[in-house]
Amino acid sequence: MVYSCYITFPTTFFAIRAESILKKESTFFKMVPVPRTISSSCGTALRCDCEDIESIKDTLLQNELELEGFYKLKEEGLKTPIVEELDLNE
Amino acid sequence: MNDANEPCRSKLNLYFDNAATSWPKPEEVYRAPEKQMRQACGNPGRSGHTRTLDADRLLYETREAVAKLFNVNDPARIVFALNATDALNIAIKGCLTSGDHVLYTAMEHNSVLRPLGGLQRNGFITTTTIPCSDKGYPNLEFLETAYRKETRLLVINHASNVTGSIAPLEAMVKSAHRHNVMVLVDAAQTAGSQKIDAAALGLDMIAFTGHKSLLGPTGTGGLYVRPGLDLKPLREGGTGSQSELDQHPESMPERLEAGTLNNAGLAGLLEGLKYIETAGIEAIQDHEQKIRIYLYERLQELSGLKLYGPASDQPAASIVSFTINNTDCGEIGFILESNYGILCRTGLHCAPLAHKAIGSFPEGTVRLSPGYFTTRDDIDYLGNALKEITTLIQK
Repeated sequence: MVYSCYITFPTTFFAIRAESILKKESTFFKMVPVPRTISSSCGTALRCDCEDIESIKDTLLQNELELEGFYKLKEEGLKTPIVEELDLNE
Repeated sequence: MNDANEPCRSKLNLYFDNAATSWPKPEEVYRAPEKQMRQACGNPGRSGHTRTLDADRLLYETREAVAKLFNVNDPARIVFALNATDALNIAIKGCLTSGDHVLYTAMEHNSVLRPLGGLQRNGFITTTTIPCSDKGYPNLEFLETAYRKETRLLVINHASNVTGSIAPLEAMVKSAHRHNVMVLVDAAQTAGSQKIDAAALGLDMIAFTGHKSLLGPTGTGGLYVRPGLDLKPLREGGTGSQSELDQHPESMPERLEAGTLNNAGLAGLLEGLKYIETAGIEAIQDHEQKIRIYLYERLQELSGLKLYGPASDQPAASIVSFTINNTDCGEIGFILESNYGILCRTGLHCAPLAHKAIGSFPEGTVRLSPGYFTTRDDIDYLGNALKEITTLIQK
């Protein structure tokens, strides 16, 4: 069983801008198709370790990105993951 | 530039029409669209596979490169369009509301005159032309008297495609902003060959094309829109995001883009932008200025040839217009190509008011527009050709 965290974006522009900004950091992340258990305006999401999601969010907000949602997924093989929406708003 | 595919560098096909579209292009500009179609052909924003992401990255990188060129911080403020005409339509039709008054200079291209003319004929807006001198410079005293309380927009052709004359942007923008009027700059002739600092000048909008001084393919171009200025979209449709809504996304750049973009063309444009960054815009500007001076001075030596536009000691885009006595300029263009292999443009150049200002309406002029790859040798050859033609005409 694995836990992964996801950040979703209102448009593709912000998803790619997020990637461009985070590439300059040492954080590990990956741009992936949005899991179908998550609802999102844009088809690409950012997947990262759950312990990094707060710092990634802070970096992106400092760069004036628009973010849509934050999710924690319990993934087990090909089973439908269990989704928890995270409330990271201050 | 490389040479195997380049018959045109020979004296049989000498290109002096860079103001229409630049040629040659850097090698990578030719190669990148093919590579994009063969290897990275996903549809940006649609689905999330790796090719799609690669296409998204290409668009993002191209936006960033344009933003850097204009000293703009946020690449979201760069939207892509078909060309400068398309971008000008997006800007003009997106920022005006009924009853607005618009100012524009007499040097404007039909890409500005026709959208404004259409809106005026429909009773949507009123307009005033800022007259220009016979060298192509806008009358700034007239501008000061032209503002009304309903004036919303001033459109400025950064450099005339007829004379190369460069509008005094800083003074005109300051004047417009003092009157709370927005400024739209038509940078069709200057983006890529003259430094344009949107931040320092406080420009509201810049329309640019990809296929002239940016050295990219046709079908590319775009619009810079300053932060805080929300234009009404000219087109609405698919963006790949917020698909459940029947409302077009409001955030930039998607706000002003709909449908699949010209990814292959933009891949070429990105290579043009990279080439310019490596060469340095100051170096390009300097080369083109020197080439224009050399051309202007060669032509000044020829009797019977009348030059238009700024003198050689004035800063100008790389354009020189002329006529020869009473000879039809189309005929001169024909002789230049058929007898000497020199390609140029003749006529009104889609800018009728500019020709009225400089005194060449309705006949037009012969326009020579060297580019970054034009050499002094090319100009010597052209100068000799025109010497023969002027001598022949005067006989």
